[in-house]
Amino acid sequence: MTLRADHVAGGAAIAAALAVLAVSGDLPFGTLAFPGAGMMPKLVCALMMMFGAILVVRGAASAPFSDIGWSDLPHAVRVLAITAAAVALYTTLGFVVTMSLMLFALIAFEGRNLLAAAVYSVGVSLLTYWLFTLVLKSPLEQGILGF
Amino acid sequence: MLGFSVALRPDVLWYGFLGCLVGTLVGVLPGIGPLSGISILLPITFGLDATKAIVMLAGIYYGSQYGGSTTSILMRIPGEASSVMTCIDGYAMARNGRAGAALCIAAVGSWIAGTFGVVVLTAIAPPLAAFALRFGPPEYTALLVLGLIFLAYMSSTSLPRTLLMAAIGLLLGTIGIDNLTGHFRYSFDIVELGDGIGIVPVAVGLFGLGEILSTPSATVVGQVMAPKLRELLPNRKEWRQSGWPIARGSVLGFLIGLTPGSAHIISSFLSYAVERKLSKHPEEFGHGAVAGVAGPESANNAASTGAFVPMLALGLPTGPVTAVLMAALIIHGVQPGPQLVNEHPDVFWGFVASMYVGNVLLLLLNLLLVGLFVNVLRIPYSYLYPLVIMFCVIGVYTVNNSIVDVWIMLNIGVLGYFLRKLGLDPAPLVLGLVISPTFELSLRQSLIMSNGYWTIFFTRPIALALFLTAALLLSLSLFALTRKHADWRTKLAEAEAGEGAQ
Repeated sequence: MTLRADHVAGGAAIAAALAVLAVSGDLPFGTLAFPGAGMMPKLVCALMMMFGAILVVRGAASAPFSDIGWSDLPHAVRVLAITAAAVALYTTLGFVVTMSLMLFALIAFEGRNLLAAAVYSVGVSLLTYWLFTLVLKSPLEQGILGF
Repeated sequence: MLGFSVALRPDVLWYGFLGCLVGTLVGVLPGIGPLSGISILLPITFGLDATKAIVMLAGIYYGSQYGGSTTSILMRIPGEASSVMTCIDGYAMARNGRAGAALCIAAVGSWIAGTFGVVVLTAIAPPLAAFALRFGPPEYTALLVLGLIFLAYMSSTSLPRTLLMAAIGLLLGTIGIDNLTGHFRYSFDIVELGDGIGIVPVAVGLFGLGEILSTPSATVVGQVMAPKLRELLPNRKEWRQSGWPIARGSVLGFLIGLTPGSAHIISSFLSYAVERKLSKHPEEFGHGAVAGVAGPESANNAASTGAFVPMLALGLPTGPVTAVLMAALIIHGVQPGPQLVNEHPDVFWGFVASMYVGNVLLLLLNLLLVGLFVNVLRIPYSYLYPLVIMFCVIGVYTVNNSIVDVWIMLNIGVLGYFLRKLGLDPAPLVLGLVISPTFELSLRQSLIMSNGYWTIFFTRPIALALFLTAALLLSLSLFALTRKHADWRTKLAEAEAGEGAQ
């Protein structure tokens, strides 16, 4: 049997619903006259499992999983890793430093001129900081360096 | 008159103009849709009053529908999903040396359709809101069920896929403190999760970051055709050919806009199919048919205006964009729904009147500044997408000054990437998340007030009528699911395939 996109999607939905049900033990379902906090999540989990099962059963109509192109995965992983690092540093280093570094790293990895990337990154970060802080009166994170 | 006295105030006019300008840019730039544009700029409106905030954010929405046509016509890249059909004949017109005429027809068609939509909105929203005052919890439950079923029926993917996505959204919406019992649900001792998951991190993650993760810069290429300003006016024949398609697109788009789902996208596809069917020269479609630009562009603008009717009158979002706009109003202390006209007449009428003004501004912007927008398209994508990521981070963080929200956005971005890979549409997830609290509350209130008798949903006339309509739509969807050829999606795909073959 060929593994197809809907088999994976349906299977993942069923697994996610079962995982949510597993951590919902302390939420009471209640009664019809007084539904508890667990009623809605448990009903929705049941629906997720039902739709997931339909997808698995009718999966033959979808594209084979092996046909899905993953050529963009390295780009996605790189963008995600750089952004995650920036988010981790954001409150410590502040907006200008973190965003300058993030922009520079993202552009540098695209193989662009490093000097142009550095000027662009610092310029854009400073301009955005000025725009939000002074013009829009919406202060951005300052961090330990104060900007 | 109250509306115009609000909309024409210089400060409101300024924010309306700003929204239209940003919206046009959002529409022009590939990879940034109106949803991510609105979500990212939402925190900027926190310092404004509700009227200015909604006028600006709505300007971004309908401005993006205007701007989306520019890249479609000049680069054959849809700046916005609803402009896909404009690529076919718009780009063909540009290759035939009629780029200016195509841009002008798209802008004028958008203006007529947008204004038509606002006129009908002005007429029907207040009486609809008055009718909705009769709604109690059972009617709201039925209305939201109907909304979800309608969404599944109108969605571009299949019924189980759409409802699965909506169910995930409903589940995410249950995170946080239960309003009726005070139980903490799935917060895992993270204080920020006590208030639940916000719509902004989810919307920005799915549509902003998710889009960028699946778009490597090497794939974004295209040549920009620069139109000459003197060629901007269409000739008499082109005007004549665009008249009826604009009229039909306006009516069709508005009606589809009233329904939940990706209305502005579906309306442009249907309008294209209708124009091709009615044309005396269907062979011209694909080679620069004026109707192939005029119809879809009018339809997507009318649909974006139509989507405001259920949002303003019923408090029911029909898509992710109206869901974010609703969230914006709620953040500003204004609850959209039947009471909006009476409780906040300045917001309601100011917003409606601003759309009349906004459509005129957009017509001028899109005709006079087309050269500027073309230059924006020359910015390399490798410089553009890091900027979008930066605004995603700022946009999400500034809502609550919470780094947890940014981590949620990152995780949802990864989810969005995999959903795209599996061919699942993320839009119903956002809709499910937005309606989840109202749906749960009205469902539980209905059961409590009937002492546990679920027949309450079938003994009240309005709720019964809504449930019967939902059952009818569900039957039609199931019929289409079992007999694939009866599905309107299959027919539309066949029409498109026929188009591509020519």
